[in-house]
Amino acid sequence: MTQKPSGIFNWLNSRLPIVNTYERHLSKHPVPKKVNFWYMFGALASVVLIVQIVSGIWLMFGYENTEEGAFASIEYIMRDIEYGWIIRYMHTTGASMFFAVVYLHMFRGLMYGSYHKPRELVWIFGMTIYFVMMAEGFLGYVLPYGQMSYWGAQVIISLFGAIPYIGESLELWVRGDYYISGATISRFFALHVVALPLILIALVFMHLVALHEVGAGNPEGVDIEKHLDEDGVPLDSVPFFPYKVLNALVAIGIFGVVFSIIMFFFPEGGGYMLELANFEEANPLSTPEHIAPVWYYSPYYAMLRAVPDKLGGLVVMGAAIAILFVVPWLDRSKAASIRYKGNLSKIAMTLFILSWLMLAWLGTVPVTELRKTLSIIGTVIYFAFFLLMPIYTSIEKSKPVPERL
Amino acid sequence: MKKFILITFFLFSSAAIFAADGAPCGDYGECESFKPQLNKTESLQLGAVTFINHCYGCHSLEYSRWGRIAKDLDIPEEIFIDNLVFGQDVKLGDRMTGSMKSADAESWFGIAPPDLTLVTRLHGSDWVYTYLKTFYEDSSKPYGVNNMVYPGAAMPNVLASMQGQQILSCKDLPMIASNGGIRRDEQGNDITEEKCGYLKTVSGSGSMSEKEFDEVIYNLVNFMTYVGEPSRADRERIGWYVILFFIIFTAFSYLLFREYQKDYH
Amino acid sequence: MEEKTTTRRKVLIGMTAGVGAAGVPFAAVPFIASWNPSAKAKAFGAPVKVDVSKMQIGQKIQVAWRKQPVFVIRHSKETLANLQEVESKLDDPKSLNIDEPYRDINPTRSTSQEYTVIAGVCTHLGCSPKYYPEMESQPWDESWVGGFFCPCHGSMFDIVGRVFKGVPAPTNLKVPPHYFDGNILTIGEERGTA
Repeated sequence: MTQKPSGIFNWLNSRLPIVNTYERHLSKHPVPKKVNFWYMFGALASVVLIVQIVSGIWLMFGYENTEEGAFASIEYIMRDIEYGWIIRYMHTTGASMFFAVVYLHMFRGLMYGSYHKPRELVWIFGMTIYFVMMAEGFLGYVLPYGQMSYWGAQVIISLFGAIPYIGESLELWVRGDYYISGATISRFFALHVVALPLILIALVFMHLVALHEVGAGNPEGVDIEKHLDEDGVPLDSVPFFPYKVLNALVAIGIFGVVFSIIMFFFPEGGGYMLELANFEEANPLSTPEHIAPVWYYSPYYAMLRAVPDKLGGLVVMGAAIAILFVVPWLDRSKAASIRYKGNLSKIAMTLFILSWLMLAWLGTVPVTELRKTLSIIGTVIYFAFFLLMPIYTSIEKSKPVPERL
Repeated sequence: MKKFILITFFLFSSAAIFAADGAPCGDYGECESFKPQLNKTESLQLGAVTFINHCYGCHSLEYSRWGRIAKDLDIPEEIFIDNLVFGQDVKLGDRMTGSMKSADAESWFGIAPPDLTLVTRLHGSDWVYTYLKTFYEDSSKPYGVNNMVYPGAAMPNVLASMQGQQILSCKDLPMIASNGGIRRDEQGNDITEEKCGYLKTVSGSGSMSEKEFDEVIYNLVNFMTYVGEPSRADRERIGWYVILFFIIFTAFSYLLFREYQKDYH
Repeated sequence: MEEKTTTRRKVLIGMTAGVGAAGVPFAAVPFIASWNPSAKAKAFGAPVKVDVSKMQIGQKIQVAWRKQPVFVIRHSKETLANLQEVESKLDDPKSLNIDEPYRDINPTRSTSQEYTVIAGVCTHLGCSPKYYPEMESQPWDESWVGGFFCPCHGSMFDIVGRVFKGVPAPTNLKVPPHYFDGNILTIGEERGTA
């Protein structure tokens, strides 16, 4: 700016750090100059978060959080409220897209070692966000109170019952009643609408603050802070605004195309996003033929079913998520990015991806003997990827990481 | 790296893993294919008439409102009220809560006839279409009929007067050899075996031909598909514009991005 | 690096921003339209039909429409003939200060020569005025010739709902849209909008 800022701007700026914040986080914030599309999913995740909050608020105008009225209120939104169907589908598509984007975002992290020092805390906040998202998705799915809402809730709440000693009381406490009822719906509603979104927003904020403190990574795993210019700005960086903002804009455009195709033409997602059994009101006396969770929980559901013991299944499922938190300390490789790691890591990563996809599919189909065996194999590979990581990342020969981008 | 992924992927794709889990249309096997045409107003209107005349006596459409159907199906309100609305105090804004009290229904049928607003979304339109065509005579059942898609259904065969009665019959079918070809005896004639469980219409028992009846059922299920999601036609129409918008937006933002990328690339 | 905003850049920024901005009002439509009364609200707010054939002369009945009381009064010929006499006490005898749907058609202010149809909601603060049809002296008016008296703050209206001078209520009682089909009165819509 060559002109002196005008009066009101000055007034604001001397009371609120507008200019400083803008420069620190937008116009002068350095980001690596060469990143690929894998680095766009974080921005997309925040877009989806906003979509979910806005569409969620609007859904509340029509939703009735009672046992008698919940299911009918969804049809009320779909039919009687003008454009209510757009808002409903936006929210259901958004939920699936949120997980799709976050899984891809997490995968980028695993691939490029985004969790390496000094970004361990960014990773931990991220994993916490993922965990809260899983709870949020589950709570939200119960609200329409269809058959799958009810029976899915039944299955998940009964998992609490597996915990020794306190299990049964815990189940009762979570449900608020002797069986799933209006008490359960109203508390799940409050948690889904207020409590967890607030926690989620706080966590996302911390995730970004932690990220900005250390700066973003890049696909090469190069530490751009090692080579600074005379002003202390990394040589291999560009300011976030406008360069990365424009990059994000393109990503948002493409994302919009994908989102709209799904939302307007395949809102049920083939029965994997809006499960068909949920088009029937909850009936405690009749269990649907197969109870399956929505696609984004299916890998963990497959693991749960692979273990014959109820508590064992719960432990394995919990461990599968918990182990993600400690990846920064499992990876002993000198290279952050898979591009420079040795062959063992590449094989491990491939097996991990394939087993995750296989588990994801297995979680959606009924159990057979063959499938049970495959679930066990998939679970073993999944855990092996993490548990063996300290070993194979130490013994393999990684390539030297370049100095510059 | 890529090759490794592809090979392992194909290894996992063997047929055994993907074996079908029980046929979607019960004893009938695969459902007959049904493609809705939600823009064909005439079909929807005919379907609505069939529904009100033959189904609404027992089944409600409780999430649907009368007036919305009149409006979406381009039926003028006077004609709609005269021909399709039979209650005295029914206003167009009311929901279609049905004619039968569920207490009566349970004592007559053992189970209240379910509300049908969402049946095509719950089971799929093909399922409903096939279901309506596969009733057959079965004297062991309370109402004398059974259904191939939903064995043990308590519903009577309401449309028997149109379709005629169907019975389970047996057919002599050529036996298939292990190489996929048809087995033949020394004279070159097909060897057949008797296979049962096929539906056959008792000729002359229905007022319509098979083709006419299929059309009635098509229109009916088309209407029910509409009722399952009345905004679907709008949804698909608006969808094109939204996608177009994002494509155009992406194009411009891409050009803008590349233009600025020149600064550092 | 150099950051010159060339013409090409200005055009591209403009086009991208333009396309984006063009999308905003369309995106806003569902969020704004969904606030409109839903089909359920419209159903409950639907017009109400009343059979007035059994009404006696001088009788007032009350019908609910959109959760408001609507008064239907059947007048005698004498009452209608005397309407002009009370005009000196009225603030707006020709109903010029309000949105009068059937102005100058009938002295009853409605689409009928015999019945008055008015919202029973006092135009002051919304209480329901009481019907005092008898021509006798009242505590609030010694020369009362029949009309409505609102108990909340003392507003007075004549027999067809026109407001008196010097009372808290500012305007005449509102006439809702309505039509008569023989003896069936439909309140809440104009004829032919069905």
